[in-house]
Amino acid sequence: MAEYKGMNIFVAPNDHEHLGLFKAARQHKLVVQKCADCGRLRGHPGRACPFCTSLNWDWQEVSGKGTIYSYEIVTQATRPAFRDWVPYPVVLVELDEQRQVPWQGGLEGHTVSLRMAGNLVKADNPLEREDEERVAIGQRVKVVFVDLDDELGLVQWALSGEPPEHTPWRAPV
Amino acid sequence: MGNLRDKYCIVGVGETEYSRNSGRTQRALGVEALRAAMGDAGLGPQDVNGMLSYHSNDSVPSPVLAHDLGLRLDFYMDCSGGGSSIEALIGIAMGVIEAGMCHTVAIYRAMNGYTFARIGGTPTAGGRAPVTDVSGPALESVSYGLTSAAQSFHFSFTRHMYEYGTTNEQLAQVKVVHSRHASNNPKALYKQRVTVADVLNSRWIVKPGCHLLDCCVETDNATCIIVTTAERARHLRKRPIYIMSVAGRVSNPFTSHHYQMDPITRHAGYYASRILWRNAGVEPEDIQLTGAYDAFTFTPILMLEGFGFCQPGEGGAYVSSGIIELGGKRPNNTSGGQLCEGYTHGMNLVIENVRQLRHQADDSCPNWEKGEHTYDYSEGGCRQVKDVELAANLGWAMPATTSALVLRR
Ligand SMILES: [Zn+2]
Repeated sequence: MAEYKGMNIFVAPNDHEHLGLFKAARQHKLVVQKCADCGRLRGHPGRACPFCTSLNWDWQEVSGKGTIYSYEIVTQATRPAFRDWVPYPVVLVELDEQRQVPWQGGLEGHTVSLRMAGNLVKADNPLEREDEERVAIGQRVKVVFVDLDDELGLVQWALSGEPPEHTPWRAPV
Repeated sequence: MGNLRDKYCIVGVGETEYSRNSGRTQRALGVEALRAAMGDAGLGPQDVNGMLSYHSNDSVPSPVLAHDLGLRLDFYMDCSGGGSSIEALIGIAMGVIEAGMCHTVAIYRAMNGYTFARIGGTPTAGGRAPVTDVSGPALESVSYGLTSAAQSFHFSFTRHMYEYGTTNEQLAQVKVVHSRHASNNPKALYKQRVTVADVLNSRWIVKPGCHLLDCCVETDNATCIIVTTAERARHLRKRPIYIMSVAGRVSNPFTSHHYQMDPITRHAGYYASRILWRNAGVEPEDIQLTGAYDAFTFTPILMLEGFGFCQPGEGGAYVSSGIIELGGKRPNNTSGGQLCEGYTHGMNLVIENVRQLRHQADDSCPNWEKGEHTYDYSEGGCRQVKDVELAANLGWAMPATTSALVLRR
């Protein structure tokens, strides 16, 4: 159990999927599950492969580089822990490793990308939120890590300084 | 599978007042709503032998209400669920009656949604304590301050604005129209008409899609809807409202992590609409009244697109065109909906459509109970849709999950 922003972050000993992610983050590595059968990566911890149902997987270290696919700026926190952090950005990051994979052979035009949610924070201080004016779809980001305790770390995101993937877009508000 | 079109009816609806201080328990509220719906239908305790409810660990179980009103049940089930539950539960009620398990089902939702368990997650003084432990799937969201509904849905909202140019002015139109409807609904919690400027000037909750007035109003209330067979319905107090079709709950693939899948703005209505319109034997163009779930001003936009009332990306223009307003081609949420009348997890939107189809919208027309209306939609006046025969309810739980219902007079 680690305390972070007034919350008790508890990764259960039997929650192997989350445990691997949070332990790797403490080692400042971003890992995702890679299916041992079809080879697809998945952006959220889970027991089975949503592409082929396989139960076999390995941890795969990834570059931690990606592009902001969507975002929001929370101006009213619902958790007391986040009240002193508003307005804080939450970003949906599309990782470089696996993008726009057709779902079940292109069924209904669906594609799946490797996307993770997190906060956009300062590159030199992952406990400090990024300014909302700097958050935009298309901006390039890199993974950063918050050390929660000796065992667990939290994945966060910071602007990488690379040129944007396309003309950045943020809502005019 | 057999199509049950027009074989089942909604025969009774009832609710408590909509308030932010009910001053009584969810049990008391639930009993009052159930009793009101039974009275509406003209049913006594011996006439209702099935119950369904849904809750978020904030309600009261069916057997308690059944006890309080002297019902003996042949079937009951209390389900976990929020928005888009009611349409699906109406379908389940039809199924259990069809299976011979019971003959009349009362479905209710009882919630002190302001004073006990606030849907936005804000802790309440006398209510449920805030959870501070974060584990399991919440590690991927709550750790980042991604908890409330407005926060959880926003990746889809923001992308809709980016991809289609949907504007805050268009979103505000939904609130403006629903507030006009609410001004003609004496029951509504917020009856005051608002302007686009009022919405845009209200404080931000989540940028870029939710000002305060883009959000529904957390409310204390209970609501109840009674379903039985068309055969039984013909002998009851009120004109039966026929259930033409039900879909739900229906989900997109990758439901719990929908934001990893494209099109991210595609609501589950994309799939549900196929079931809904096929079984109803009608098309969106035939529908004269919609009840698109307004948790936020954005949610009707995504659903009206998903269910085929307009093309993907055209939802903002659709809600700004006058179509959704009383007097327009296809009004939406004529009670003022959850943005104004009160937040009920969708129940009041179905109740309103039932009253509309009876031609008994409880507005300020002196003889509304006789179906006599002025059709003057100015403030404080009528809210009955003239000659309405067909209505659809579109339920929302999240971008990737939905239920829906088609009703006819
Ligand atoms: Zn696989």
